[in-house]
Amino acid sequence: MKEYNIVITGVGGQGVLTAANILGWAALHAGYKVRLGEVHGMSQRFGSVISYVRFGEDVYGSMVPEGKADVMLSFEPVEALRYVNYLKEGGMIVVNTKPIVPVQVSMGMASYPSLKEIRKVFEKDFKAKWIGFNAEELAEQAGHVVTTNTVLIGALTQIPEFPLDAEHVREVIKISVPPKAVDMNMKAFDLGIKAAKEILEL
Amino acid sequence: MAKVSDIVLWDKPGERVLLLGNQAIARGALEANIAVYAAYPGTPSSELTDTMAIVSKKAGVYMEYSTNEKVAFETALSAAWSGLRAMTAMKHVGLNVAADTFMSAVGMGVEGGFVIMVADDPSMWSSQNEQDTRVYAKFANVPVLEPISPHEAKEMTKYAFELSEKFKHFVILRTTTRTSHARGDVVLGELPEEIKQGKKKFGKFKKDSSRFVDVPSNARRFHPQILEKIEKIREELNNCPFNWIEGKEDAKVGIIAPGLSYAYVKEALAWLGIEDVKILKLGTPFPVPYGLLEKFFDGLERVLIVEELEPVVEEQVKTWAFDKKLNIEIKGKELVPRIYEMTTRRAVTAIAKFLGLKTPINFEELDKKYEKVKPLLPPRPPSLCPACPHRNSFYAIKKATGGKAVYPSDIGCYTLGLLPPLKTVDTTVAMGASIGIAHGLSIAQNGSLSEEQQSPEKQVVVATIGDSTFYHTGLPALANAIYNRSNVLIVVLDNLVTAMTGDQPNPSTGQTPHGMGKRIPIEDVAKAMGADFVAVVDPYDIKATYETVKKALEVEGVSVIVSRQVCALHRIGQMRRRGEKWPIYYVNEDKCTGCRICINAYGCPAIYWDEEKRQARVEPTMCWGCGGCAQVCPFGAFEPMKEGEQ
Repeated sequence: MKEYNIVITGVGGQGVLTAANILGWAALHAGYKVRLGEVHGMSQRFGSVISYVRFGEDVYGSMVPEGKADVMLSFEPVEALRYVNYLKEGGMIVVNTKPIVPVQVSMGMASYPSLKEIRKVFEKDFKAKWIGFNAEELAEQAGHVVTTNTVLIGALTQIPEFPLDAEHVREVIKISVPPKAVDMNMKAFDLGIKAAKEILEL
Repeated sequence: MAKVSDIVLWDKPGERVLLLGNQAIARGALEANIAVYAAYPGTPSSELTDTMAIVSKKAGVYMEYSTNEKVAFETALSAAWSGLRAMTAMKHVGLNVAADTFMSAVGMGVEGGFVIMVADDPSMWSSQNEQDTRVYAKFANVPVLEPISPHEAKEMTKYAFELSEKFKHFVILRTTTRTSHARGDVVLGELPEEIKQGKKKFGKFKKDSSRFVDVPSNARRFHPQILEKIEKIREELNNCPFNWIEGKEDAKVGIIAPGLSYAYVKEALAWLGIEDVKILKLGTPFPVPYGLLEKFFDGLERVLIVEELEPVVEEQVKTWAFDKKLNIEIKGKELVPRIYEMTTRRAVTAIAKFLGLKTPINFEELDKKYEKVKPLLPPRPPSLCPACPHRNSFYAIKKATGGKAVYPSDIGCYTLGLLPPLKTVDTTVAMGASIGIAHGLSIAQNGSLSEEQQSPEKQVVVATIGDSTFYHTGLPALANAIYNRSNVLIVVLDNLVTAMTGDQPNPSTGQTPHGMGKRIPIEDVAKAMGADFVAVVDPYDIKATYETVKKALEVEGVSVIVSRQVCALHRIGQMRRRGEKWPIYYVNEDKCTGCRICINAYGCPAIYWDEEKRQARVEPTMCWGCGGCAQVCPFGAFEPMKEGEQ
């Protein structure tokens, strides 16, 4: 495989960097050349964030160019839409449908689009396959909302032709989270797998 | 995923690991047997310093968080003068702070290897300006190395120490956000015995006043020496392992790719499916080695330089070609933008245009499609965290001044106070500048209290500055304001940590990475300097903060209020690790009148508007329990949830 490109989007503080790091280590263990791109500092404070995960034989830069992401993993619907131009035509979007409303919207300075509108852009204009579900609810079922990113990573491993083995990814998560949170995260991972499978089989 | 602190110290040569560019540089410094490291944090350089903080004790390396880049530079430089390998790191604007020492000491050279890591931030992801450190390097006649990946960053760090020692000259290791904050596969090398055993190294300074005293008679001698050195280094770099020529040997078209641009060029060429091209990969954008240019240009008819930001390589190449009277077309900034960061898209577009080809993706069409998406997107700028004490300080300042003061502020998380609804940041220039600017604004609009005439209309000036910034460059400005008698209120937003760059300690924290620093309370400094009014408040008590600001505004002269409350992000992080809980607030629906004061004046990101019920709501996953909302709500609608309800 020459290259596989993932973009991860969300709101600063949601665990976007952690998710990228987990996928990066899984790719490294699978023997690929790996590049992750991220932005730190002030940009992280509840602002919009994007991280890049690239692996394969031929990867150089750490940023995925626009129009070249095989898949987008998004922690928040508007933050998925903000970076839709990174997705290649016919790419996949795995998205947590629970919105985080920006202060500017609450202040009445801007409005938040409906989930239907967002989905339409992905499916119609960008010809993407939409795998959207409320990952936060599933994370709560698993034990705590902090496992939302584990739910989403679980779902990601189920998309067709995803090059990393779900069990490899699971192993990395196992050693990345605090020991007492392992069971909860494994449960979250399974719930994500189940959610994606259900959507993909529809 | 092992802990980074473990990986960086792993005695496992040949092991493949995933490291952040900055962490890889720390590993490179250890592999190079570094002895002294000193820096002030600045994004995107901070993780190098943080990594050194974690590993230094075990590795026997002296490491400090200095109060600013200039003193950090001087600490490391002195170690290099004493024959030790030493390093300092900073972001691009940090070099401006260190520039005085940097430019003056370069002629003195060093004994031990001295590496200055400077992280540039093209596109300004977390910076107040966009500047190209390679221009500084050229200005100072200091060689600059620029890696293409975390692995190369590690290798280059070792090489940088060797180069510095060989020529007894400074060496800059320049990264950008995309190398400092890129993670990539890194192959670990050997660690020296001293590092493995954690054996501390001591140097010896040999006095030499003809070298270490920058009087004009010496400085006159230095300048020609510097020029001679840099030309020798230019020669040396013909054999630098990070410079090479690749691609088709008899190609007519060549591309010069300095630093990270090489990565984008390689991807662009693969994407375009072009093989009939020769590439000069340049790890040393200054000085460009002429021997290598000679080899590269042989047989070429057209050359494109794909370079990020300033035409540093382009100017050297064009000058060289002009002097050689080469009849070769050389293009650069005509096709490659001079602003913002390089991307594969930019590289592919420039190369396609240069060769008269179509880009692999129709980017214009993609942009057109995206233009239609833009109106749907609400803005989401970064914001002050929930429970951030600065929000309360700004809220109290605004209320006490009726929003009518001028509010100079500084570099730190609190710069975000510029956003609505707080809007209490009118100027931000550079570290420590808020106090200098406040003083100047007051002098210009009110006059000085030391003068006989003052303006009949008083303009209130309230500056805000963070604790780390106060110690960085706020101190001389405070002395200046007190001495020259302006009428300003300075609120030091003391959250006891350097929060924006990742919770590094500073004199207000007192702790060092080794646990044995000495705390310097800001109020003691202000009193000792002779401020006319000094007070300490807890911004979580909004009313008390408001009243103290009111009181300070009555005082003529320089007032200093230390608004002290630990950084919320820092506190919550620690509580999470300890498994502790904090109170979570909710809106009592019977009491909320929908007045929106909590949203339109206070603006905590955990509070949102419920359109259906026309009331405010708290997002429980984002509430960090400061209770500020309960203090600003005139109707007492915010209440903490009872245990068990959470």
